[in-house]
Amino acid sequence: MNPKEPWFKIREGLNVRRVTFLTACSFLLPLALWCLVSYVPFIWHPDVRLEVSADRADVSTVYIAGDHVSKEFFGTFQEAIRNGNKTILQDRANGNETGGLMARRDNQKKLRQLAGLAIANGWLRSNQREDDSAIFEIWKGIATGALIPKAPPLNAENLPIVRQNWQMLSSVSQSFDVRKLPEQPLLNLIPQGQPSNPSYLPAPHEVLLTGWHNFTNGDPLGQLSLFDRLLISIRIVWGGFLLSCLVGVPIGVLAGIYSVFSKLLEPFTDFFRYMPAPAFSTLLVAAFGADDAPKISLVFIGTFFQMVLVISKTTRQLDHSLLEAAQTLGARPRQLFSHVVIPGILPDLYNDLRILLGWSWTWLVIAELIGVKTGLTEFIETQGRWRNFDAVFPVIILIGVIGFFTDQFLAWFRGVLFPYTRTSRTKSKIQKKPGPPPRMRQATASTEAPVTELTPT
Amino acid sequence: MNRLHALFFSALRRVTLLCVIPLTVSVALSEPLKVAYSDWPGWVVFDIAIKKDWFKQEGLDVQFLWYDYAPSMDAFSTGKVDAVGMTNGDALVTGSGGKPSVAIIITDFSSGNDMIVAKPGIESVKDLKGKKIGVEVGLVDHLLLLNALESNGMKETDVTLVNTPTNETPQVLGAGAVDVICAWQPNSGQAMKTVQGSKPIYTSAQAPGLIYDLIYVSRENLEKRRGDWAKFVKVWYRIIDYMQDPANLDEALKILAARDNVKPEEYEPFLKGTHLLTLQEALQRWKKADGLSSIYGSTKVVDDFNVKYGVYKQHVDFQGYLDPSLTEEYSRSVGAKAASK
Repeated sequence: MNPKEPWFKIREGLNVRRVTFLTACSFLLPLALWCLVSYVPFIWHPDVRLEVSADRADVSTVYIAGDHVSKEFFGTFQEAIRNGNKTILQDRANGNETGGLMARRDNQKKLRQLAGLAIANGWLRSNQREDDSAIFEIWKGIATGALIPKAPPLNAENLPIVRQNWQMLSSVSQSFDVRKLPEQPLLNLIPQGQPSNPSYLPAPHEVLLTGWHNFTNGDPLGQLSLFDRLLISIRIVWGGFLLSCLVGVPIGVLAGIYSVFSKLLEPFTDFFRYMPAPAFSTLLVAAFGADDAPKISLVFIGTFFQMVLVISKTTRQLDHSLLEAAQTLGARPRQLFSHVVIPGILPDLYNDLRILLGWSWTWLVIAELIGVKTGLTEFIETQGRWRNFDAVFPVIILIGVIGFFTDQFLAWFRGVLFPYTRTSRTKSKIQKKPGPPPRMRQATASTEAPVTELTPT
Repeated sequence: MNRLHALFFSALRRVTLLCVIPLTVSVALSEPLKVAYSDWPGWVVFDIAIKKDWFKQEGLDVQFLWYDYAPSMDAFSTGKVDAVGMTNGDALVTGSGGKPSVAIIITDFSSGNDMIVAKPGIESVKDLKGKKIGVEVGLVDHLLLLNALESNGMKETDVTLVNTPTNETPQVLGAGAVDVICAWQPNSGQAMKTVQGSKPIYTSAQAPGLIYDLIYVSRENLEKRRGDWAKFVKVWYRIIDYMQDPANLDEALKILAARDNVKPEEYEPFLKGTHLLTLQEALQRWKKADGLSSIYGSTKVVDDFNVKYGVYKQHVDFQGYLDPSLTEEYSRSVGAKAASK
């Protein structure tokens, strides 16, 4: 633990504190970069995030508070609304009103233009977007000066519009009543907003908040909750993986032991491995229907063929001298199999399966897209299609976190299951200690020590 | 010998039992009606009946399966579902592909929601010459595009088509891979939000009646379970009645917008672009006539179009695809009720 120990030494390990520090940095640096881009206003920020939005006449594309628009489009958008207001005022002055039910509905919508701002200011709860009576009171409050929007404020252009509209509203009724809304069109609020990054790079806190909200409140669409989706996804990955283990491990081991199986099975497996699993998707849907079965079988196809090859290779790498030693001691073929081969390859087999499980996870998204979309992928797909990336990021990160911690757990558990093998922890010690490597002492059971290293004894 | 006899008969009994059990089970548990639907606003309204349990109240077991549009038709033609929402043109295309169907409900006609959306700088259909157009080839908005080109004196060869699944058109336009896309709402709206300043240069509002949307049932299933489909029609007109009442607008928008993952205020304009047909309007459209104001006339136009542009080779006997009888029966039953009151 010498503090002057150099950081850079060719092919040398680091002490535990430095390792911990670097591990933390490896996560914190990307996070810091993300924060930098998100929170320093003069870095990038090509868009405007709307706080107040309005509908343009005769345009069916509706922007709502929270949407991102590019800075240049924001100008034309504002201009379009200003022109719309001008037309409304002209019509009002000329006395040619387009009244009736439609105008009332439009006015109702115009009142709701303040809802987003009111929620941000804490005057409304987020489920009150359509609570017209409450929104009506907010118009009253702002127009009379009883309420002053601070975070975010209402810009100078909009305050007179609120007052003007309120004049018209209050002349009909002091409280909200759908039937007592004016039949002449109210003025639109002019869109306002803050500089922001494009919607595909939400700020960390937005991701965190949306993720928290989506996980705790259940799905906003009243469909499956994210936890249900997570379980479905895990079922598909593990279903495909376990099925693949059930068939692939025995075949792999057999192919590793007997050349007959190896030569019979491996060439075809090797050939099949090159066919991309997603290429079979439509075929699987036709064969197994549109629900879970084709998805699980896609994970299976994506994992199985790799598994057979990897495991047969692992089995073949079993130290030959162990077999020879056992045979010298009079072991029969069956004993060789059960007492030497199986215990000998288990630790490596375990590691292979760990890696292959990660492999299975990579098929998840493609698998869930075929047939009826399900699980986390359906959520990612639909939310992504609607550019709600603040909802997508938490799910992607969640998949990563699950994979990472499963792997860490399995790596730790390997030490519990196979205490006689080196764990990753002892690896760094090996590199530090001079003299004979400690694995020599465990050589009889070790499977990781290649043959060449054993010969000196 | 006796024992052998007994053994034989007990074995026989078991075998017959084994055969009979699945038979009785399949009769006792009648399968739900399986209906595939997709994001077209005229069909999303089924969610209202689903949310409000109207099918169950009618004693009807219906399973709705949500798909993208093209996969929904695949599900129908492979027999995974009994019914599907399609446009009159696409039903003919699916039928010529080996799965003829029959329509029992005209849900709506497209009055603006099918659009040709162009990047800023392209102002009219005439400007499309030489442009790359993202469209799902052979499906409804391909028809809209051909119609737009034809009415402007242009040909399909004047443009380059890029075959794109409709729900991916927003991304494709956003990525700049094409200059123009053809899509229906909510996809077209999403495209216009993605590429700010892009706008519709031609919509189905300019060719009302070219695109009708209907519920098509597999012919065998309709024959087998006509009574159930009659109840289905009844629930459909309950939805229509509900949609006609402005007091329900906010609640309806909430349900519909949730299905499409948009906000209710974004969904509201979609209602204008899809003209849901009331019972009276639907009966009018079911009448045999030439021209786009009749489903028969419109389907004939589309059939001619499809043959002319080689979507399929032979004219289709489109009359067999249309069966107004369930709608008419429902109308009579409502009329009878009204008279008895």
